[in-house]
Amino acid sequence: MLSLIVTIPFFSSLLIGLIYLSNTETKRNTLYTIFGVGSIFLTTLLSLFTLAESLGGAPTLHETLFNWITLGEFKINLAFMADHLSVVMISFITFIGLLIHIYAAGYMKDEEGYGKFFAYFNLFMGSMLLLVLADNPIIMFVGWELVGLSSYLLIGFYHQNSDNIKAANKAFLLNRVGDFGFIMALAILFVSLEWTGFTYDAIAANIDILDHQTLTLVGILLFVGAMGKSAQIPLYVWLPDAMAGPTPVSALIHAATMVTAGVYMVARFSFIYELIPNVGLFIAYVGAVSALFAAIIASFQSDIKKILAYSTMSQLGYMFIAVGLGAYSSGIFHVFTHAFFKALLFMGAGAVIIAMHHEQDIFKMGGLKKHLKLVFITMFIATLAISGLPPFAGFFSKDAIIVAAFNSEHYALWAMATLTAGLTAFYMFRMLFSVFYAKAKEQKELHSLTRSMTYPLVVLAFGATFSGFLGVSEVYGGSDIFGTFLSLGDLKITLPHSTEYMIAAFNVSLATIGMIIAYKMFAQEAKEANTKNILIKIAVEKFYIDEIYEFLILKPLLLLSRFIANVIDPKLFDGFINTLVWIYLSLAKLFLKLQNGNVRSYAFYIITGVSAMSLFLIFKLGVVL
Amino acid sequence: MLVDNLELILFSILASFMLGGTTTMLLAKQTLYSAFGFLVAMLALAGLFGLLDNRFLGVAQVMVSVGAIVVLSMLSILTINAKADALPKEPFKYLWVFLSMIIVSPFTFLLYKMLITLPHHFAKGENVSAKVMGSVLFKEWVLPFELISILLLTAMLGAILIAKKKTKGEHS
Amino acid sequence: MSPDLFFLLASILFSMGLVGIISRKNLFVIYMSIELMLSSINLILATLSRVLGDGGPSVIALLLVGVIAAEAALFLAIIVHLYRESKTLDADRYNDLSEVS
Repeated sequence: MLSLIVTIPFFSSLLIGLIYLSNTETKRNTLYTIFGVGSIFLTTLLSLFTLAESLGGAPTLHETLFNWITLGEFKINLAFMADHLSVVMISFITFIGLLIHIYAAGYMKDEEGYGKFFAYFNLFMGSMLLLVLADNPIIMFVGWELVGLSSYLLIGFYHQNSDNIKAANKAFLLNRVGDFGFIMALAILFVSLEWTGFTYDAIAANIDILDHQTLTLVGILLFVGAMGKSAQIPLYVWLPDAMAGPTPVSALIHAATMVTAGVYMVARFSFIYELIPNVGLFIAYVGAVSALFAAIIASFQSDIKKILAYSTMSQLGYMFIAVGLGAYSSGIFHVFTHAFFKALLFMGAGAVIIAMHHEQDIFKMGGLKKHLKLVFITMFIATLAISGLPPFAGFFSKDAIIVAAFNSEHYALWAMATLTAGLTAFYMFRMLFSVFYAKAKEQKELHSLTRSMTYPLVVLAFGATFSGFLGVSEVYGGSDIFGTFLSLGDLKITLPHSTEYMIAAFNVSLATIGMIIAYKMFAQEAKEANTKNILIKIAVEKFYIDEIYEFLILKPLLLLSRFIANVIDPKLFDGFINTLVWIYLSLAKLFLKLQNGNVRSYAFYIITGVSAMSLFLIFKLGVVL
Repeated sequence: MLVDNLELILFSILASFMLGGTTTMLLAKQTLYSAFGFLVAMLALAGLFGLLDNRFLGVAQVMVSVGAIVVLSMLSILTINAKADALPKEPFKYLWVFLSMIIVSPFTFLLYKMLITLPHHFAKGENVSAKVMGSVLFKEWVLPFELISILLLTAMLGAILIAKKKTKGEHS
Repeated sequence: MSPDLFFLLASILFSMGLVGIISRKNLFVIYMSIELMLSSINLILATLSRVLGDGGPSVIALLLVGVIAAEAALFLAIIVHLYRESKTLDADRYNDLSEVS
C-alpha cells in the first residue's frame, strides 16, 4: 500500500502530462481536475488509512518495490518505510495537499496551462511522498531532487515573463548548492559505514562505527542541504523570489511541504544528531538568527506574498531551533501546525489577489473586511494562530520550542526566539489590518471567487484552531499525544512548571503588544514605511543581501568565466590545436610539392622506393657480392 | 682455347660498343646524336644475339629494331627539326645521371643476383635455329602470334589517328 | 663463356634505361631509354633460350620484338602530336596532374 501512495501521484502526473501534450490547445479542465484532484484524494485516503493502522498499534511498515542498485552484497532498493514519523508526515502532507489541489482547481481555472499545472503539481506530491516514505537516504535524495525539480517547474510556470524564469533558476541553483553538501554527507557516511547496509535502520544500528569527527562533518554537511531546501541563512534568497509562481504553488510547496523537508531530514537523522550536540547547537543558532532576520525584513515588506514568504522562513527557523536542540517532536509538531495556518494564509492571500484583479501590494488594498467576509474570518484565525495566541494551534507548538530554548540555558537563543515571536505578531497583524481594515485607496469592482477557493479555507481554519490540541504538553494538563506517538528521542525539559508558565505569559503578552501596535499604526490608514531613516531603508531593501551576493559571488564567477572563455580557451586550448593543425598543414604543403604532375618525378619516386626495398632485401637476405 | 677466348673477346667488343652507344644516348645534347648512339647499341645487340647462336633473332633484331625503329625515330627527329630553344633546358644533366645511377644500383645488383640463380652452363646440343623457332612458333605460340598481328594493325591505325593534322571543326 | 656475363650486361642495360627515364627531359631520349629496357629483356630471353636449349624463350623474344614495333609507332605519333601542340620537346611541360596550378 505504501508503494501505491507514492506511485499514484506519479502515474497521474504522467497521464495528465501525456493528455496535455497530445493537444495543448483544447480545454479539458474537467478531465484534468478529475485526474489531478482525484489521485490526491485517493492518496489521502490511503495515507489516513495507514495512519489509522499505525495508531491502532501496527508496527513499522516496510515495502519494497524493486531492487535498484546491487554492488556485490550491498543493495539499494526502491523501498518504503512507514514508521510513526513518516506516517504523521504523509497524513498532513496529503490532507493539506488535497485541500490545496481543490483550491488550485478554482484559482487556475482560467489559465491556459491548466493541464500542465496539474501534471507538475501531482509530480510534486509524488516526489514529496517519496522523500518522506523512503527507507534509505539515497531514495530520499531522489525525492529531494525531484521536489527541487517540481519547484523549479512550478515557479517558472508563468514562463512568458523572464523574471519568473530567473526566479525559478535561482531556486534551483541555490537548492543545488545545498544538495552538494548533502551529497558529500551521504558519500562520507557511505564510505565510513563500510558496507554494513545503507537503510535508515541499518545506519542507526551501525552508527557507532563512525568517530566523532566524521559524525560532526556528516551532520554539518547534511544541514547544508537543509539550509538550501528550507531557506535558512545563507541560502534563503530564493524563497522571496519564488513567490513569482502561482499562489497554490506558494501555499503547497513553499509553505507547507517542501520547505519542511529539511526539518524532516534532521528529525530522520536524529540518531546522528543525538551524538553531536554541538552541531545541533549550531543548527539552533542558524535557525534563531534566520527567524529574527526574516521577521525584521517582513515587517517592512509591502507585497503580500513576500511578507508570507519571509514569515515562512522565520517559522522554519523556529523548527530548526527545536530540532537543533534535540526537541524533535516539538519541531515536527510546529511543522504540522504551521502547515495548516501557513497554507491557509497563502490561500487567503491568493483569494485576495484574485479578488483585487492580481494586485499584490497591501497598501493598495483596504477595507476588504466587508466584501470578503469568509476570507477575512479565516485569515484572522490564521493570524491569531501564527502569532502564538492561545488557544489556537501556534501557541502550543511555539511555546514548546521557546521553552526548549530556555531549557537549554543558551539564553541568546531564547531571547531571539521571543523577540521574533513579538515581531511575528506585529508584521502579521500589520498585513491583516492593511488589507482588511484600513481605508481603501480606490474602490474597485471585486472579482468573484469560486467555492472551490473558499471552502478549503474553512477546513484549514478548523485545523488551525484545533490541531494544537494534539500536542498539549503536560504542563497544561495535556498528554502530548503527538509527541508520544512520534516517539523520537527527545530531550527532557527540566524546568519547573512555574517557569514555563512565566515564559508562556511573557510570549503571549509580547504578541498582544505587537498586535496592538500594528492596530494603532495600520488599522486606520495603512502606509508604507518612511525610508528617510537609513536603518529603515536598509531593512526595506532586505539588508541588501541579494546585492551583496551578486557582488561577492556572482561577479567574480562571471569574471572568471569571461577570463577563461576569452583568454584561456582561445590561447591555450585553441592555440594548442591550431598549432597542431599548422604543423599538419605545413607537412601537407611540403608533400604537395612532391605532387607536381610531372610523370618523370613519379617514376623517380617509384625507382627510389624499389631501390630502398632492394637495399633492404640485400642486407636482410645477406646477399653477398 | 682460342675458340673460348674468341667468344669472350667478341663479347667484350660488342659489350663495349653497346655500353658506349648507351652512354652517348644518355648524355648527348643533340637529339640526333642520341639516336646515333641508340643505333650503335641496337646493332651491338644484334651481334650479341648472333653470339648466342640465335641467328634468326639477330636478323629480326636488325630488321625491326634498327631498320624500322631507329630509322623511324631519326625520321621523326629530323622532321620535327627542333631548334635549340625547343629543346628542353637540362642544367644539371650530368649530376642527375650520376645520382640516378647511384640510386638505381641496388636494384641492378639485386636483379643480377636473381638472374644468376639460373643454371650456369649453356646447353649442349642443338642450337635454336629458324627451323626450330618456326615449329615452336606455329605449334605452341600461334595464338599470341595472331594477337600480335592484330596489335600491329591497331597500333598502325592509332598512330595515324594521333598524328593526323587537325582539320577545321575537329577536336584533338 | 657463361651466361652470367650476359645477365650482367642485361642488368646494366636495364638500369641504364631507368637512368635515362629519370634524368633526361627530352622526349625522344625518354623513348629510346624505354626501348633500351625492352631490348635488355630480349637479351635475357635469348640467353635463357641458349641455356635451356629450348625454342620457347626465343619465340617470346620474337613476339616481343613485334610489340616493340607497335609501341614505337604509337610513341612516335604521340611525340609528333605533342610537339605540334606545344612546340617543345620538354617532358616537364606536361604537368596537368599537378594540384598546384
